[in-house]
Amino acid sequence: MSKILIVDDEPNLRLLYETEFQLAGYETRTAADAQAGLVILDSWSPDLVILDIRMSGMDGLETLQQILQRERRVRVIFNTAFSSYRDNYLTWAADAYVTKSADVTELLDKVSELLQTELTAKQ
Amino acid sequence: MSGAEPVAGWSWEQVRQALVVVDQQSIVVSATGGATALFGCHENALVGSSLAQQFTDPDGFQALLAGDGQDQGAGGQLQTLTGAMVRLDCLRCLSADGAAGDGGFSILLTPAGGRRQEDQWRETRMAKLSLLNQVSDALYGADLDLEQILQAILVCMTADQGLRFNRAFVLLVEDGVLRGKMAIGPNNADEAAEIWRELAGQSAELLEMVAQYDQTIRETDVAVNQMVTAIEVDMTRTDHTLIKTLTEAHVRRVSPESEEAGAAELRAQLNCREFAVAPMITRRGPVGVIVADNAISNTPISDLDLEFLQMFANQSAGAIENSRLYAELAQRLQDLSLAHEKQREDQETLLKMERLSVMGETSAIVAHELRNPLVAIGGFARSLTRNIAADDPNLAAAKIIAEEVVRMERIIHDLLDFIRPPKLLRQLTVVDEWIDHVAETWRLRAEESEVELVLDLQAGAAEVEMHPGEIQQVVQNFLLNAMQAMTGPGTVEVRTRLVDGGVRVIVADDGPGFDPELVEKLKAPFFSTKPTGSGLGLTICAQIIKAHGGVLAAENRAGGGAKFSFILPLPKNAAN
Repeated sequence: MSKILIVDDEPNLRLLYETEFQLAGYETRTAADAQAGLVILDSWSPDLVILDIRMSGMDGLETLQQILQRERRVRVIFNTAFSSYRDNYLTWAADAYVTKSADVTELLDKVSELLQTELTAKQ
Repeated sequence: MSGAEPVAGWSWEQVRQALVVVDQQSIVVSATGGATALFGCHENALVGSSLAQQFTDPDGFQALLAGDGQDQGAGGQLQTLTGAMVRLDCLRCLSADGAAGDGGFSILLTPAGGRRQEDQWRETRMAKLSLLNQVSDALYGADLDLEQILQAILVCMTADQGLRFNRAFVLLVEDGVLRGKMAIGPNNADEAAEIWRELAGQSAELLEMVAQYDQTIRETDVAVNQMVTAIEVDMTRTDHTLIKTLTEAHVRRVSPESEEAGAAELRAQLNCREFAVAPMITRRGPVGVIVADNAISNTPISDLDLEFLQMFANQSAGAIENSRLYAELAQRLQDLSLAHEKQREDQETLLKMERLSVMGETSAIVAHELRNPLVAIGGFARSLTRNIAADDPNLAAAKIIAEEVVRMERIIHDLLDFIRPPKLLRQLTVVDEWIDHVAETWRLRAEESEVELVLDLQAGAAEVEMHPGEIQQVVQNFLLNAMQAMTGPGTVEVRTRLVDGGVRVIVADDGPGFDPELVEKLKAPFFSTKPTGSGLGLTICAQIIKAHGGVLAAENRAGGGAKFSFILPLPKNAAN
């Protein structure tokens, strides 16, 4: 089972995503901020990280930088309420950029797509 | 004199003073040689005639003698028939018995020429000074514009109550040229007579005359106005009689024979013989000149005329300057007021824009902030719709919640689309120019690393639609990679070539090249937010080029070394 790490500062959204992803058959962990997220990343080694951009403390962009400096390459999806960051090429290093919506389908599809290619690549 | 016998050979003829003795009826009893000479006749003709008849004003003479009936008759001045002006001192003679009575008069006549002239002069001066006073009222009093002031000046120059020239012309200095502006004066003697008759009939005060100018004289002065407007003298012609007047700052009389530069020309243009020129100068500099003549009556221009002309010109200069300054001021005030108005409008517009911008920003922030709660609401509503049984009435409620959230998300989406400013980040850029610029900024660093930078740009004037900053990042990334790969001195080439439908940019080095393992490292993106950061990584570069509609490639060169390149497409319409 693939491991998903969800980093978002909104507790209700963490709950929502956790529920939805578990329903979809993934193993999930959540973190309320970037620091906590990085700790989980290093100890738990998820296959994919869903990253919010606007967070207090370290923001999503800086977090991505941190993630990518690790040896092990993990998939990263930006999931944010702010569509304006799309134009910022710093986000292009992520594997996907999703604008938050009440309809979690888009996010689920992206996760599935990325993990599939990952699997294919590994084979 | 009858009675006493004079010294031998001597007679009253030899007395040069004009002394006449008359009886009670003013008949000449005796006269000296001087008297007969004065009256221009022989003693014989004079003696026995009425002295009164020798004067142009016989009644005046009788009145003089009547005087106040006293011993001493009155003194006075009369003009003789010969045209001489004489002063008469009359003293009653004693009667034969020695008592003062009706003994007739002895009258001493002395020429009054010199004194009379002086008095006349004085009178005229007084009159003219009072005129100047009136004139200054006329010129400075009301709110006159330049046109009206020039008219006032000209009327004063020629009016009977004024300076009494036949004609006057005003020329003003404009942009370094003395130009004829306005003139007054009948074109010929007939016109003159007509006009003076008309005005004399009205016997207007000077000020009224000035006001009446528009009605009476203007129509007849077309000719002189045409004459004056044809005159143009460049201020640099310092030898010209008009300009000389200005530089010497003094009124002058130009005689009919004068051969001064411009004099003959003026005589021809104005059709006159003798004329006077007065300079109009203020502290700011020369304003112009007034030219005056007596071309109709041909009365010689006297020194007194010149003196008054100068005084008048000085006043006129001030008045003209005043009106110009006033007009300038009025214009500046208007400009200022317009500028102020415009500034106020601009400020209002700016405020409006700021307000809109702030509104826009606020709306954007609000919209974004609303998304998070909506995700929670809608997300859980959906999950409810899955979990609630189909026959449970709460299902409908949950569905409604989910639907309304969708609606709200759409509103937010539309709102943000509306607010977002258009993307103006990409612009048409000449590739070679930009690549050259980017490479040059690295030259110093290259030299420090003992790397020779060679540029070979052959894309000419080809332009592509690009985000200059991003392309700069890509090229710098390549350069950095190349320099980091080379361990010792070497060469890095930067080339541009026109290819089918695009421009290819190549960065090639003669270092060790890269082995397959290195490819992975290169592709791992690592970035820094600093502009002089360590690079973006190949993936980012690839993304950038892809976003530009181009392709990126990395390979090893045949003769050793690495080669990175990308192609940027030409704009659709230029692709041919």
